[in-house]
Amino acid sequence: MKSQTGLLFVLPALIVLFMLIAYPVAYTGLLSVTDGNGHLVGFKNFAAVLKPRVTTQAFINTIYWVFGSIVFQVVLGTLTAILLNQSFFGRGALRAITLIPWVVPGIVAATTWAWMFHTEFGIINYMMTGSGVLQSPIGWLTNKDTVMPVLIAINVWKLFPFVAIMVLAGLQSIPNDLYEAARVDGASFWEEVWYVMLPSVRPVITAVTLLLVIWGLNSITIIYAITRGGPANKTLITPIQIFRLAFESFQFNQAAALSVIFFGVAIVVVFIYIKVLSAQPGEAK
Amino acid sequence: MRSKRTAALLALTVSALTLSTAAFAGEVVWWTPNWGEARAKELAGKFEAANPGITIKMEVTTSDGLPQRVLTALQSGGAPDIIEVQHGWVNGYAQNGLIIPLDDTIQDKDDYAKAAIDYVSWDGKLWAIPYRMETRAVVFNKADFKAAGLDPDHPPQTWKEFVDAATKLTGNGKSGFAITGGGEMGNTITGSLPYIWMNGGSIISDDMTTATVNQPAAVEAVTFYTDFLKKGLSPASTLENDGTAARRLFIAGAVSSYLGGQFDIPSIRTENPAIDIGIFQTPHPDGKETAGVLGGWSYIIPKDAKNPGEAKKFLQFMNTSENQGFFTDTFPVRISSQAQPRFNDPILAVFKSMLPFARPVPIHKNWVQISQAYFDGLQRIMLGDQTPQEAMDQANEEIQALLDS
Repeated sequence: MKSQTGLLFVLPALIVLFMLIAYPVAYTGLLSVTDGNGHLVGFKNFAAVLKPRVTTQAFINTIYWVFGSIVFQVVLGTLTAILLNQSFFGRGALRAITLIPWVVPGIVAATTWAWMFHTEFGIINYMMTGSGVLQSPIGWLTNKDTVMPVLIAINVWKLFPFVAIMVLAGLQSIPNDLYEAARVDGASFWEEVWYVMLPSVRPVITAVTLLLVIWGLNSITIIYAITRGGPANKTLITPIQIFRLAFESFQFNQAAALSVIFFGVAIVVVFIYIKVLSAQPGEAK
Repeated sequence: MRSKRTAALLALTVSALTLSTAAFAGEVVWWTPNWGEARAKELAGKFEAANPGITIKMEVTTSDGLPQRVLTALQSGGAPDIIEVQHGWVNGYAQNGLIIPLDDTIQDKDDYAKAAIDYVSWDGKLWAIPYRMETRAVVFNKADFKAAGLDPDHPPQTWKEFVDAATKLTGNGKSGFAITGGGEMGNTITGSLPYIWMNGGSIISDDMTTATVNQPAAVEAVTFYTDFLKKGLSPASTLENDGTAARRLFIAGAVSSYLGGQFDIPSIRTENPAIDIGIFQTPHPDGKETAGVLGGWSYIIPKDAKNPGEAKKFLQFMNTSENQGFFTDTFPVRISSQAQPRFNDPILAVFKSMLPFARPVPIHKNWVQISQAYFDGLQRIMLGDQTPQEAMDQANEEIQALLDS
């Protein structure tokens, strides 16, 4: 009787969860093995979506995009956190300013950056040619060698404040005794960073990196708003390919198939990541 | 006792339900693009006055992301009663069973331009009522022409003359002719496909079984198009420019000509009144005819529309010769509407003269992916990754796979 009452109370939440998560996931799975009329077709959709060269290219681009973004986001974010953890005049203001990229809506940031990097009208080319750094304007977003690094830079700019604020919170929870003990032992500032700060915030960095991996794998806004995956698919990542297949080409079944594949790959990546990290017990504690 | 209460409750529910349906019975939900908002309000008001009991609920849409929004609404089952969409999208909806045929709604079908009617027909039925049509022509800066020693009254007609003129116009920070190669894919399709057609080529064969984009006629046209960038006659930013960006460059004085539409004219006139605007037909190969992509908008009624009857009545009202001509932003599809004085502005004459040469893009269920494959090929050429022949060979292979699937 008692357990039934409990079930009754969680039921609304369970129903919402089911409708919003389980049903779409299951329906995507069903779409991926059926055709437009709902007939089962086995793995035909998977074969059709894996065949074009663009799918491989998108996978490689996705890895480039996620890995490139995360390395710089974590490094830059952690350094910023260490800086903001020091006491100096104007620290409060600087902490607030650092957060700006994180709170600007993604689409606003992306559109603004797109104009700043524009070959003809962009302020970046204007400043660089005006000051003599560049002889002639560079097509940042149209040159195959610069377009992805530029997009990664924008993504890093957008998300490093998040890393910084999370790591900062971790740093502030380190008891002062540890620093004092380190100083008694004659540790320099960098030794403090290396032996006190980083080990203490490792769980935070781990969690944040996991979030960044998931966000990176899902991110559409910045790339779609700036290049739409172009030029010539140089910046096409899998989520955008799925979006294109479904909403620009009406190929819902193929899009579902690609989603399922992508979901599988993402699960594996996250699983390996968690496994590797839990294999080293947190010595920081 | 209990059953009585249940019955009462049931009765209450049923009457409440009927009430709410009654309240919505005469309401037509209409998605209309933002450019025609003021005119739409005026016509909706007139219709409501003439038809008591029917209310028109307008929802104003914007073009960015509209195809996705429409598709989501059509698939979700919660669609409005009328949506305005581009001609090219209609067939996809029809073939996926998302909209209803409108053969019983259209009046004076013979008065409609045949190319537009063909565009929204499939399987022997009419799936939309086309009301607006347009095609592109080259918009140019007359002062730049004079400065380059060209005669603005005799603009180039053939490809060769066109390239010569663009070469003379280029220099001192100005580009002669801006092609597009980025942003919204549709602009680049509209801008480059006509050259293939003029040259006697195509992207896919007429029976839609064979990809033909790597045939000599198509490759020659693609080379002609991309050479504007290769030879430096189009701005360095070409790969990130769509139609809007090309117009901005034109307004800023950075380019002397670009392929534009009549809807560009008002914004050029407001933003830079100093420019003396000229228009000429898109140049064609020597001895051949010009061509353009037929663009424009149609009304559709979704399969899940709540009040299709009232919606059809409203569409008939919107498409009387007078109202269609009043409502459209560019040319009306009804021939009789085109006689209205607002279409006699001399600057529209060239656009009007292009209409007979306008063609619909192929009506194939995979057309978006086919044009994407072609577009990617164009970008590979412009990036310097491949030669036109290599790029079109690859595109041809991808398009053939889409035709076979």
